[in-house]
Amino acid sequence: MTMNYFLPCLYAFTACLAFSVVFNMRGKMLVFASLGGTLGWLVYLLCGSLQNDIMQFFLATVAISIYSEIMARVHKVPVTGYLLVALLPLVPGGGIYYAMEYCIIGNTDLFLETGLHTLGIAGALAMGILLVSSFVRLWHIVGSNESKT
Amino acid sequence: MVLPEYFIRVLRMNYDELINTATDVGYMLLANGAEIYRVEESMQRIFRAYAVETSEIFVIPTCIYVTISSEDGRPITKIKRLYTRNTNLDKVGQVNDLSRRICRENTDFKIIHHELQKIDQRPNYTFIQQILAFSLVAFSFTLFYGGNLSDAVCAIFCGAAVKLVIYYMERLHANSFFTNILASCAAAAIAMVAVHINVGLNADKIIIGALMNLVPGIAITSFMRDLIAGDLVAGLIRFTESLLVATAIAIGAGVALTVTRAIWGV
Repeated sequence: MTMNYFLPCLYAFTACLAFSVVFNMRGKMLVFASLGGTLGWLVYLLCGSLQNDIMQFFLATVAISIYSEIMARVHKVPVTGYLLVALLPLVPGGGIYYAMEYCIIGNTDLFLETGLHTLGIAGALAMGILLVSSFVRLWHIVGSNESKT
Repeated sequence: MVLPEYFIRVLRMNYDELINTATDVGYMLLANGAEIYRVEESMQRIFRAYAVETSEIFVIPTCIYVTISSEDGRPITKIKRLYTRNTNLDKVGQVNDLSRRICRENTDFKIIHHELQKIDQRPNYTFIQQILAFSLVAFSFTLFYGGNLSDAVCAIFCGAAVKLVIYYMERLHANSFFTNILASCAAAAIAMVAVHINVGLNADKIIIGALMNLVPGIAITSFMRDLIAGDLVAGLIRFTESLLVATAIAIGAGVALTVTRAIWGV
């Protein structure tokens, strides 16, 4: 049971670590961004009982976004870096590939189904990121208004 | 009568310098993979720091348009075109720090240009390190998507092949569409050969792992984000971009799959 959680998260961690090198990140950001990816996948797996992977992806993205916003403030760096790397395990790479393969075989039904599902996942990720970042912005605006009055 | 004209000229000089500097900062951010809103906001903040309140900034992934009004109401416009973009988060962080410093200290333009040059020349990881990183990405994602250990070992070579193709195509100044076709073709071909000689088991897992390096998923997610955030033009450009990336990958991998299947009749 723990192996079901541990191994995928470990793979997610090494994948994110390698990707942070591809994106030319330096120093402690490498590790913290990769931990974000691990956290995202852990949340995805823990929400498995929902039986709805779009919802799982959405919740995992929300977790990653919150983590990234906090880390960006702690280390005083743009939030982009953390988000971009941590999202990678969630990004629908497999979906795109299988859609392509169905397209080549000529199975239009499965191609459309996989393609639309992939778009749905991408939409869930985008919604998760925007929800958190809009909320953080609102928080800032409300905070600065209160300090003025 | 001579004095005011002289002052206006001095002021105009400053406005030119200001718009050049702000555009350079924006350019560095955008060219290294910062989001649209970050570029627009940074430039706006720099203008405000130098007491220019009326500025219009419009940024799309391929171009930066800026107009500011000088004190006498003269509009000054600058357009800067971007041809290549990549993701270099180290530089984004550095330029972001610099633009915060500019807003805090109203730094001299010469110093800003010097700093920008210094950031631009910051070292990347070495070629060997990058190849290792691409291999590790392929290795990890193959395992992550459910491949077994021998699949993952095959994926190491696919990942390295992707990086090699990108590197040499970049030196030939090839456009990214053909680079992506060739890279995914190479990765898929190696994966099919590996499966044919019974080293790997799941060709699809190996290919997906290796192709994660070309990050079609990132492009798709970021276009959705731009669209929902209201940057419609930027979103449409990214949408087109992600369609091109996905198409190129599909063509490359498709050719490799079809040819190898035709040869070995799988």
